[in-house]
Amino acid sequence: MSPVTKQSEIDAPPVLPMTQAAYLPGAAYDEMFADGGEVRDHYAHLHTRMSRLSTEELGGRQQTQERSFLLQGITFTVYGADSATERIIPTDLFPRILPAQEWAQIEAGLTQRLRALNMFLADIYGDQKILMDGIVPRELVLSAPSYRREMQHLFVPHKAYANVCGSDLIRGQDGQFAVLEDNLRVPSGVSYMLANRDAAKRTFPGAYRAAGVRPVERYPDLLLSTLKSMAADWRPNPQVVVLTPGVYNSAYYEHAYLARLMGVPLVEGRDLVVHDNTVYMRTTAGLRRIDVIYRRVDDDFIDPLTFRRDSSLGVAGLFNAYRAGSVVICNAPGTGVADDKAVYAYVPDIIRYYLGEDAILPNIETFLCREPAQLSHVLDNLDKLVVKAVGASGGYGMLIGPHASAKERAEFADAIKADPENYIAQPTIQLSTAPCLVDGRIEPRHVDLRPFILSGEKIVVTPGALTRVALKRGSLVVNSSQGGGSKDTWVLADEASGSVQP
Amino acid sequence: MMLARVADSLYWTGRYLERAEHLSRLSDVMLNATLDQSDSGLQAARIALAALGDEEGSKTASPYEAARGLVLNRDDPNSVVSSLARARENARQVRDQITTETWERLNMLYLRMTSGEAERAFESGSSAFLHEVIADLHTFKGAADATMSHGEGWRFLMLGAHLERAQLIARLLEVGFGEARTVQATDRIALMSLLRMACALEPYLRAYTAEIEPRHILEFLLFSEDFPRSIRFTTTQMELHLSKVARHMESAASGGHPERVAGRLKARLEFADIEELEAVGASGLLAQVVNECGRIHQAIYDTFVAYPLELRLPA
Repeated sequence: MSPVTKQSEIDAPPVLPMTQAAYLPGAAYDEMFADGGEVRDHYAHLHTRMSRLSTEELGGRQQTQERSFLLQGITFTVYGADSATERIIPTDLFPRILPAQEWAQIEAGLTQRLRALNMFLADIYGDQKILMDGIVPRELVLSAPSYRREMQHLFVPHKAYANVCGSDLIRGQDGQFAVLEDNLRVPSGVSYMLANRDAAKRTFPGAYRAAGVRPVERYPDLLLSTLKSMAADWRPNPQVVVLTPGVYNSAYYEHAYLARLMGVPLVEGRDLVVHDNTVYMRTTAGLRRIDVIYRRVDDDFIDPLTFRRDSSLGVAGLFNAYRAGSVVICNAPGTGVADDKAVYAYVPDIIRYYLGEDAILPNIETFLCREPAQLSHVLDNLDKLVVKAVGASGGYGMLIGPHASAKERAEFADAIKADPENYIAQPTIQLSTAPCLVDGRIEPRHVDLRPFILSGEKIVVTPGALTRVALKRGSLVVNSSQGGGSKDTWVLADEASGSVQP
Repeated sequence: MMLARVADSLYWTGRYLERAEHLSRLSDVMLNATLDQSDSGLQAARIALAALGDEEGSKTASPYEAARGLVLNRDDPNSVVSSLARARENARQVRDQITTETWERLNMLYLRMTSGEAERAFESGSSAFLHEVIADLHTFKGAADATMSHGEGWRFLMLGAHLERAQLIARLLEVGFGEARTVQATDRIALMSLLRMACALEPYLRAYTAEIEPRHILEFLLFSEDFPRSIRFTTTQMELHLSKVARHMESAASGGHPERVAGRLKARLEFADIEELEAVGASGLLAQVVNECGRIHQAIYDTFVAYPLELRLPA
């Protein structure tokens, strides 16, 4: 951005407080320090700033930030015996920084991947050519619980099934990014990306300005235009709503946040009625027609007439209205089949099949326990592998071999043998580490990366992400339900281009 | 045009916050009055407790214990802390409709009232504590007024506040001056306390000087055109907000026409005078106010919130 200030900041005498001396990156790739211990170029500004702040100042800033999150209500509720307490999701002060050329590869890789996955969804809910050609096993797709027969041969505008996608990327020991998981159902976390950015700008304004960070603030309006692009052509000014399960959902803050920033109503199932295959919301002035529903309710619960009958979160008759084409549901029901942990293993083949290209972002090597040869390999190497249940998410139903006791491994082995189709295994990856403020000290913690991709008429990757942090020392589990936190992610603009493009 | 559920939540947010403010003020005045070990102090405490529905004033040992429960008891659905929790829960349900500035005021107050600190702060200085609660509630109203669009949502918030206020003041006047009361407020100190409970002492003094008499108090709190806690003022506000909100109604839609109910009550208060009131007695008029408020509430529901779907479906 501005080379003048940059130079002067780097030239300043390096002051290394005690916090610095305590920072010992482990075997994993560290985001800030290269192997020789020197600071990576793109971290230079932040490192200078961090070195000049005393531990007390850092602690004070951390407190200010946490208080502001609490006040804004960026919290989840923990229900105890007699009272409910609100906790904030822990956020770390120091941003994680990605240089422009690394981001360019991520962006291209994510775009390619979502294009292929949308084509895959259109195919398996259409002519099923990929199954006929034997690229992906037929029974794997058709017997997955997330496969929705109801979606067969339904028209989806632009063939954009997964309108909002949040993929989990990790960086291995070699410094290369790989895709760990695709989230095509109702991915969350984008409000933390935006709230973290807000906080980071206040905490490190100088470093932020000097680094030339690409803004993420356009996300809400890109989301709105993506949703509007899904509406039927003959509805010139489509009414978009956000459908939330309600105030007790752990992501409620995010639902309200997005509705507020898009300026659209936040509705619950009980606000909607379906009449003559048209969806209306109950307003103070009578019923108003709805065109696009950005739903944050799982497939199973959106319509008790079509899916789970005991759901009270959805709207009776919604799916029929969708089938009739009078309303669009985003993401489309049934997208979960493409982020299934077993289908994941085939994504590189899926990309090659539809696009004729190699995957730009590689997969993690995955063993499918459904294949007898791979099953025996998994059982022989349980101490080295991470085993996951296909249907589970959020860090549940998972065995991390190297960290598990012999007894846990033996129990898990029995579970795998009893139902091999339900399990996959992956080698244990040392996620990269980034500096975090933990108990007043700067220490390395493992992080992953969740960028957000929108697809409607076209595919847009927001230049930023949620970096999730495993706050326990040595832990590799970053899920917020398992003691994870988050931090802001700065994607730097290409210096050659000279200006910061959104 | 806004979601019916959202209008309902905003309306109740307004009501609960008004209730919390009134309760805080009542507790504060009661504790203050009973600092003097005199009959007038006891009379003030009796009025406050009766206004809260505790007719005999016997359920609790001391005014201090009563006030403490009134403010901090989370098991009592009518306490200040419960009212604030409900207001905040309603506001959270419609978080997208309330500006961040407004929400943060309410959330901060809620977090303070529910933290462990609250009990200690009340014990170490109940008056300072209650003053701060009231001041925070005023800041909330100020933030709402200054940052929210004065559209439909804001009007429902205001409607709730004014409807609740009219009912609370009517109740306060009834226990002070109702004909059926065995002990009516007569003592000068007790009358001053009653004015304080309605946050009306200073404006009253300006209007009537230091002559504090029941008939003036009744006249002021019932018929004053300008005082924001007089029943006439709150009714005028209700009528104003309702007629603005009803403007968006489809003409075909039927309902209870709450703006007409409010308009009738407004006219009654506008053209009544104190001589007439003295002739028929205050109780009758006050009972009518409470009844009409109930009808307005019902009509709001029938018209805007829980209307029958069949009447609104497209032909």
